Amino acid sequence: MADRPERENRRGGRKSRRKVCSFCVDKAEYIDYKDVAKLRRFISERGKILPRRVTGTCAHHQRGLTVAIKRARHLALLPFTSD
Amino acid sequence: MTEVKNKYETVLVLSVKLGEEGSAELVEKFKALIAKHGTVESVDDWGKRRLAYPINKETEGYYTLINFESTPDFTAELDRRYKITDGVIRSIIIKKDPRFANAAAKPRKAAEPKPIDVEAVAAEAVDAKEESAAE
Repeated sequence: MADRPERENRRGGRKSRRKVCSFCVDKAEYIDYKDVAKLRRFISERGKILPRRVTGTCAHHQRGLTVAIKRARHLALLPFTSD
Repeated sequence: MTEVKNKYETVLVLSVKLGEEGSAELVEKFKALIAKHGTVESVDDWGKRRLAYPINKETEGYYTLINFESTPDFTAELDRRYKITDGVIRSIIIKKDPRFANAAAKPRKAAEPKPIDVEAVAAEAVDAKEESAAE
């Protein structure tokens, strides 16, 4: 046990990493739909909104984020889909 | 009741078919319309941008952001005008939440001191994505 501390908690052998909501880090209250560069980090290559478990965004900010992404999509700032 | 005024922001995407002058003219027209029913606070011209997906077989558009203040009933009228005006391919009118009035005005300043943290989180997110994909 002491030899392999990184495997303490997980049977699968995957390291557990603590994810922090990037909006909480920034103390951001309002997520701007015009900030395309920022929003791009939260969509997949296909244009889908990434789930919280992937990005580590907190529930509060994920709600605001989805609205912002959808507004950006409407204005053709972000794609609905792309391949 | 008549004195209720809200702050709004509107982004309109104009067709490139209008040309540089035509789009500027149209923006002026909407500015005048807004000024008649409220007050225009600022206009931000983003210029020509690539659309994320083609709209009406066009791949580019002129983006303009207008911040304004008006009574709530004017937004419906403005939206109606957007819809019946040729050359407006997309538009959005957003009421600014007064709670975020300060935050929205200076988001750049607040975000700048810690660019490294954000990057790290994003990189982590990508890692996590790869891991879950490998699973």
